Amino acid sequence: MRAYPLTWRLLDVLETGLEKVFPRRLAGITPYLMLAPAVLLVGLLVLGLFQVADGSLRTLDTTTFLMSESYSLDNFRRALSEPLFRNVAVKSFAGSLIVTAMTLVLALPYAYVMVRTKSAALRKILLIALFLPFFIGQVVRAYGWLIILGNQGLVNEALSFLGIGPFRLIYNYPAVLFGLIQYMLPFAVLMLAPAVTAIPEETEAAAESLGANWIQTFIHVVLPMARPGFVGAGLVVMTLSLTDFAIPAILGGGSQDFIANAIYDQFFRTSDQGLGATLALLLVAAGSTLVAIVFALVGTGTLQMGRAKQ
Amino acid sequence: MKDLKNPVLELTRRRFLGATASLGSVAALAGAGLSTVSLPRAFAAEPEKPKEIIVRAWGGSWVDSLKAGVSDSFTKLTGIAVRHDLTEDNEIQPKVWAAVTQKRVPPIHVNWDTTTNATKSALRGVTEDLSDLSNLATVTELAKPVGLDGYPIVNTYGYVYVLAYRPSAFPDGPPTSWKALLDPKFKGRIALYNDGIGFHFPAQVAGGGKVEDIPGNMQPAWDFITKVKEQRPLLGEDPDFTNWFQNGEIDLACTISTNAREAKKNGVDIKWVVPQEGAKFETDGLWIPKGLPENELYWAKQYINHALTKDAQQVWLDGLGLPGVVPGLTPPADLVGDPSYPTTPEDFKHLIRVSNKIQVENESAWFGKFKAIMQS
Repeated sequence: MRAYPLTWRLLDVLETGLEKVFPRRLAGITPYLMLAPAVLLVGLLVLGLFQVADGSLRTLDTTTFLMSESYSLDNFRRALSEPLFRNVAVKSFAGSLIVTAMTLVLALPYAYVMVRTKSAALRKILLIALFLPFFIGQVVRAYGWLIILGNQGLVNEALSFLGIGPFRLIYNYPAVLFGLIQYMLPFAVLMLAPAVTAIPEETEAAAESLGANWIQTFIHVVLPMARPGFVGAGLVVMTLSLTDFAIPAILGGGSQDFIANAIYDQFFRTSDQGLGATLALLLVAAGSTLVAIVFALVGTGTLQMGRAKQ
Repeated sequence: MKDLKNPVLELTRRRFLGATASLGSVAALAGAGLSTVSLPRAFAAEPEKPKEIIVRAWGGSWVDSLKAGVSDSFTKLTGIAVRHDLTEDNEIQPKVWAAVTQKRVPPIHVNWDTTTNATKSALRGVTEDLSDLSNLATVTELAKPVGLDGYPIVNTYGYVYVLAYRPSAFPDGPPTSWKALLDPKFKGRIALYNDGIGFHFPAQVAGGGKVEDIPGNMQPAWDFITKVKEQRPLLGEDPDFTNWFQNGEIDLACTISTNAREAKKNGVDIKWVVPQEGAKFETDGLWIPKGLPENELYWAKQYINHALTKDAQQVWLDGLGLPGVVPGLTPPADLVGDPSYPTTPEDFKHLIRVSNKIQVENESAWFGKFKAIMQS
């Protein structure tokens, strides 16, 4: 009879040891134990939010630069009534909605071609082009746009050959939106691609065999069936845009702040951590409400992950 | 049980070497004729030297000048390395405040800071008292922070927020008033600091108001800033101004003269003036956060004391092009007679100086108002 292989014996020893450390009868709690690190992380975040909430109820005393001992709603009153914060909030929300819409419009054809192309080379090129920006940080990319779109940048240089310009292409609201769209596009494509992959090609073929042209097939088959991808990608792009700091700071020329920039100013420029905490809390609340509304209206899309309700 | 010998009397090899090095550095100090460390005190009980001290500084030419004028010579004299932490002044502040509140050792030994920012820290009670620095006996009145007891901060030089301009944009001669910012031909080609710092006070005068009305009535300043906003100014930080001039983005800016001078050194065609309405005069200083071990506090103080010597100030401030707090400094050749390098009472007549206490108490509101105008 052939001897038991050494590796089997080793595994037996390991299994016996594991049984002593973690008995089999506890197997039921394994999934919960695996969840523990994530729960711990989220717990820490929630704990942080409680601290932020506590700070938001304290006002700054500018004679001592200490936060008040007592609680008040003064910071909330300021945040909701001062024109500065209203302007910044409008810019942020309008910006995030525009960026989301534009990004989804640009991302769908990209994702569609990437998934459906018969050419492996084209798919690779599209994938590389998609992932390349991830290796370049957001700040570097924003500075790259300054070089390209600046008064002495490549675009204005090219325009000067045609005898026009230079034009101020940066340090304005459209430049911020442009930078955000460029930054968000890979995220949206990555979220949309699985949804497009899930659309059976036969469905499109069936539509065409029944007389639909390419545009009709796209509008009546592809778009509705890609809806879960739109929801997932839209939510990710909208929340990331709403809370972005670097691109409004760099491409906005200082006059196109988003809420994150206003929060930074309160924490680091005026030392008013209470007001900064208030703005942060309001941003979290507003963002969460927006996401909840989208969930309620159109579902969770690809973010649902698990088994969909039948 | 651990033997609780007197650590001062316990002679270890490390302590012996440290003491020998200390004596060497004291001898060097004496030889150099510097009063960084008074000789009798050093012989009596010079605390153990840390390997390094950390000094927060601004980057670029700012830290280069500090290194050349103060840090390198301090290392040479004491053997203590100086590490420069280039964290922004606004960002190091909450870290230091949190460390002091939580009774942790702060992340830096010395903070090179604007006097306004430093005053906030002093009011919060996180700064060490520097009144015992021996070189304070020889400095000018400018070194003393206004409106604070003692020396929680030592001002080390003054500076002016000038109107910097591109000469090619002014063929008929330099601008004489801040109202040049309102000229339609400069629409989109002017720049201010993103919180308006340096511009509030001259805007008050340019808008028809009086400096004496600050902070009670600053409506003239806000009216003027509202007009400037129509010119679509770029808003940024110190390094942005140099870049913007260099890249041809702007023709006019309210900035610290040091930044304009740095751009000029980099080959940018740029000059600056103190307009007829005046320009804001401000100071920067050095301070030490509370919570350092005793020996490190001692050497941090010696660093600041050294920064107040004539030799250190001369090299440091030659680099920055700013007037110091030690009498008898020689202005850099390119700044002799320059209004951004004030040395006489006559020079100061054209500059606007408001107490740091008023600035600190109102800064948040001013920043908010400026931002509200610019973000509208």
